[in-house]
Amino acid sequence: MWWKTLSVVLVLYALSIGLLIPLKPGVVRVSPETAATGQALSLQVYGYNSFFSKSEPGQIRVWLEYDSSRATAAQTIKVLNDTTLEASFQLPPYLPKGEKSTLLTAIVDHPADGVSLLPNAIKLIQDTAFLKSGATVSSMVSDSAWTLQPIDNLHVIKDFSFPYRNVIYESIRNTYYHVPMWFVLMFLFIASVWYSIRYLGKPDPDFDRKAAGYAEAGLLFGFLGLFTGMVWANYAWGKPWSNDIKQLMTAVALLIYLAYFILRRSFDEPEKGARLAAVYNIFAFASLIPLLYIVPRMFASLHPGATGNPAFGSEDLDNTMRAVFYPSILGWTLLGFWIASLRIRYQRLHDRSHGLD
Amino acid sequence: MLSLLPLPAAFAQGNRDFMRETGKINVVVAVILVIFLGIVWYLVRLERKLTKLEHQTKDDHEWKN
Repeated sequence: MWWKTLSVVLVLYALSIGLLIPLKPGVVRVSPETAATGQALSLQVYGYNSFFSKSEPGQIRVWLEYDSSRATAAQTIKVLNDTTLEASFQLPPYLPKGEKSTLLTAIVDHPADGVSLLPNAIKLIQDTAFLKSGATVSSMVSDSAWTLQPIDNLHVIKDFSFPYRNVIYESIRNTYYHVPMWFVLMFLFIASVWYSIRYLGKPDPDFDRKAAGYAEAGLLFGFLGLFTGMVWANYAWGKPWSNDIKQLMTAVALLIYLAYFILRRSFDEPEKGARLAAVYNIFAFASLIPLLYIVPRMFASLHPGATGNPAFGSEDLDNTMRAVFYPSILGWTLLGFWIASLRIRYQRLHDRSHGLD
Repeated sequence: MLSLLPLPAAFAQGNRDFMRETGKINVVVAVILVIFLGIVWYLVRLERKLTKLEHQTKDDHEWKN
């Protein structure tokens, strides 16, 4: 059937395009990671997927940013290779607001790669020698040194590449494989509860088989989502299980659905078991909504967009990612329904040959 | 014998095809696609076997749906 072919084509597309499109250039780290005010600083900037040598040396600009209106710019820049450059700063003698130390964002901009930045790249410490001699310097003077070199005329490159995010880096691609598992689970569980409701209206054993088959496939994708999430979490959050609210609620939801299968098999009369399982399935589905969509919004979560949309805010998913993410969801969903349909057809044959239909 | 020698030399000079691009991520993608297509092939086989069985039982039973 056409939709089975479509599922294969879409998953093939998601697997190949999702892995092949490069990440946007980014800044991995700078060295040194601490400096003192007033110092002549030679800063090594390490880029990722960057092409520093593709731009004219004079076109590359580097800033250490304090906030949106305060920054200090590098005076000279030397490109060592495509991913390393050396930026020389004459750091201002005072921090803008008289702090003892502050964290600065490193910003690199040039025509070939566009703008890329690294938050909290370097810790700048107030040199106390300047404080003693400059006790009379007003805050206006210490502030003005930071507003002389504004961050402007940044290059924005619009090409087909995935966002560069610190900490997760290339694993941002897991968005196309881990997240669709939850969409497949949801669609399969919706199909399952739909046939459970129909079974209660008309006790056709085929409705019961479909309810069970879709629930089983949904559970399979649920565990795949849980395990892929644990693999990703190990490298993004430091450990596979953090008792994150979404992890906990998902585990509870999967256990509730596991109980559905135990319940189905614990009756001697198949019709009685099917009827009770159908009622249970409706309650299981009803509990899924608060477990996966309401409770996670009420607690802090490590997942992105935890305070608003539990899955993704617009900041987490740009248009390039959408072009892979949505086809991936559709492809995996159709594949999930295909697997479920095979299971249901097997069960139908089994029941017929055992005289249970 | 000698005709085999220029091949590695060509690669050393940066004469690369699609599968030998820097990073060789294409090779990983190829492996994953082979695995996925293998699973799909297995699903198609299951599908055919089920269809065959369904047709056989159709002769014995009154088929609904």
